[in-house]
Amino acid sequence: MVRFDRAPDEKGYWSLPSASSLIEEGVSVKMDARGRLANLADASRVAPFQPWALALYQYRQKNDFADDPMHACVGPGSPRAMLTPGGIRIIQDRNYKRVYILYGGGNHGWRVIFLDGRKPPDPEEVVGTFYGNAVGHWEGDTLVVESIGFNTRFWFSNGGLPHTEALHLTERFSRPSHDVLRYEVTIDDPRTYTRPWKSAWTLRWVPGDVPEYYCETGRP
Amino acid sequence: MRALALFVLGLGVLLPAATPGQQAGPPGSQRPHPDLSRPAPRGPDGRISFTGTPSEVGNWEGPAGATMIFNKGRPFQEVSLPTNLTVDQVPFQPWAREQYLKRQANLTADDPHTRCKPSGGPRFWHTPYGIEVLDLPETKEIIFVGVGAPHSWRIVYLDGRAHPKDLKPSWYGHSIGHWEGDTLVIDTVGFNERFWFTREGVPHTSKAHLIEHISRPNFYQLKYEATIDDPGAYTKTWSGGWYLRWSPGNEPFDYLCQENNRDPARMIGPQGEH
Amino acid sequence: MPIRKTSHVILSILAVLLAIAAVPTEAHHSFAAEFDSNKPMTVTGVVTRIEWTNPHAYIFVDVTDKDGKVENWGFEMGPPHMLQRAGWKKNSLTIGEQVTVEGWMARNRSQYANARKVTRLSTGEVLGAASSGGQTLTGATTPGVQ
Repeated sequence: MVRFDRAPDEKGYWSLPSASSLIEEGVSVKMDARGRLANLADASRVAPFQPWALALYQYRQKNDFADDPMHACVGPGSPRAMLTPGGIRIIQDRNYKRVYILYGGGNHGWRVIFLDGRKPPDPEEVVGTFYGNAVGHWEGDTLVVESIGFNTRFWFSNGGLPHTEALHLTERFSRPSHDVLRYEVTIDDPRTYTRPWKSAWTLRWVPGDVPEYYCETGRP
Repeated sequence: MRALALFVLGLGVLLPAATPGQQAGPPGSQRPHPDLSRPAPRGPDGRISFTGTPSEVGNWEGPAGATMIFNKGRPFQEVSLPTNLTVDQVPFQPWAREQYLKRQANLTADDPHTRCKPSGGPRFWHTPYGIEVLDLPETKEIIFVGVGAPHSWRIVYLDGRAHPKDLKPSWYGHSIGHWEGDTLVIDTVGFNERFWFTREGVPHTSKAHLIEHISRPNFYQLKYEATIDDPGAYTKTWSGGWYLRWSPGNEPFDYLCQENNRDPARMIGPQGEH
Repeated sequence: MPIRKTSHVILSILAVLLAIAAVPTEAHHSFAAEFDSNKPMTVTGVVTRIEWTNPHAYIFVDVTDKDGKVENWGFEMGPPHMLQRAGWKKNSLTIGEQVTVEGWMARNRSQYANARKVTRLSTGEVLGAASSGGQTLTGATTPGVQ
């Protein structure tokens, strides 16, 4: 069974994501590390938007992310947290058949993925959260995580990509070599996008321990 | 009719066990009294477990009302350690005593934890909604994951390292630990001063050197004792703590304090009447 | 009483017991600094808004007084996860339905309270509020968290 975290007596954690923003796989656009497009005309290429979603994305871009909930430390959610520097640990808890993802960036928070075969709740009945309700299973050495039940109070990527409560994420974690974590995410939100679409990037294993960092709003 | 009578009889048996004020767990919990003779679970190698089992999921509930200083007349004192000091016995420096009393007088309205600030030290062990313990002996770490308030995680290094010399003050400090039999002993330095050391408002400074002893006397209780060595706030080292109770069936869940935190504006302390 | 009605009564009581017994009494803040445990209250009105948020869910209710004046009251409840553990669903309450809410008043003189219990008038269903003020089977207030 693949191990996503440290080997016995090892130090280190995942960092240095190879992408800084969420863009559909195969699309190449000029964008800065905050997800701001160099050329607003490229907006429609970033993802297969529904018309309302494209308009909102363009508005957020033009407004330089003034409404980004992360200004109030609300978020980041997945997959945004996988694009944020700050470090990540993936702890496989065999006692309870869970995986914890511990984040160094954002709110230094965490999410839990249940691997005990439970069925996810009905998204119509469950109150949406920031990381959703996540259930996972193994396909060989790849951890496949399905998440539903999101609220819309956060941006699930930097750059202002919209989503609704219909969001369904499928994430695939694999470790093709000791130093590389491959992360692939499929976004399926038929109210926001015209079809499911995916993106993928890698993180690198770096030495040491996850530094302490907490998002602060500047309010007491 | 008979079924109803039997049911009412059964209810009569159930109700007294759950009435507040009696020894039925902390007041307000309405849980039947747990069997404190049930031993703590152990791993296959005999190592004590601070968690549950696959057939018995649960985690630790940080008792909000628990105090490090014995406070007669306040609720939840029965979960506090019997060895806790009274206010007069705590070796406060004068400014620290004044600060503690002021925080108490204001009914702890100004607790930074309520503003979603991460709060280390003993304050972490009041975290509501569940504390999970991830014991990772292979990598010589223990990670405590808290559901409520900052929804964050705290790491203790058990690899024999020393504290770094040039620590930047932080919310959770730098923690190193070791086992003494079945007790986990944690040594932490490097706290910032932007949070309260306990929910009741015990003060601290960045000079604080905290030693925590954590043990599991039975399946249902985690015993937490903090020893504060803080020459910036106290004239001597002193200790206090409480029991955390096992919360059966509780699982970690997503929670974000910053989402819609309306309380701070309304927490006006003892003034105000409706 | 016919057997079927008896079972219904028993099941209803059991549901209430389960709902209340499952909730915790902790919260992220001091109850006493914000609410007054000596000021219990009960209102009946129409649900106007529900916020399913952390750290607390909120429901807002339009209450009409004897003179016909309408005031909107806000009630703080526990976090959504705890409410859901106690049996709530996102669609448990609908905007426009009538409820009775029992709780404790806020100290700051606002039309605001900490909810202990919510009763849906259309069905009689009782929903515990997973309040930081604590709940009891007998209905007595136990605002234990200081």
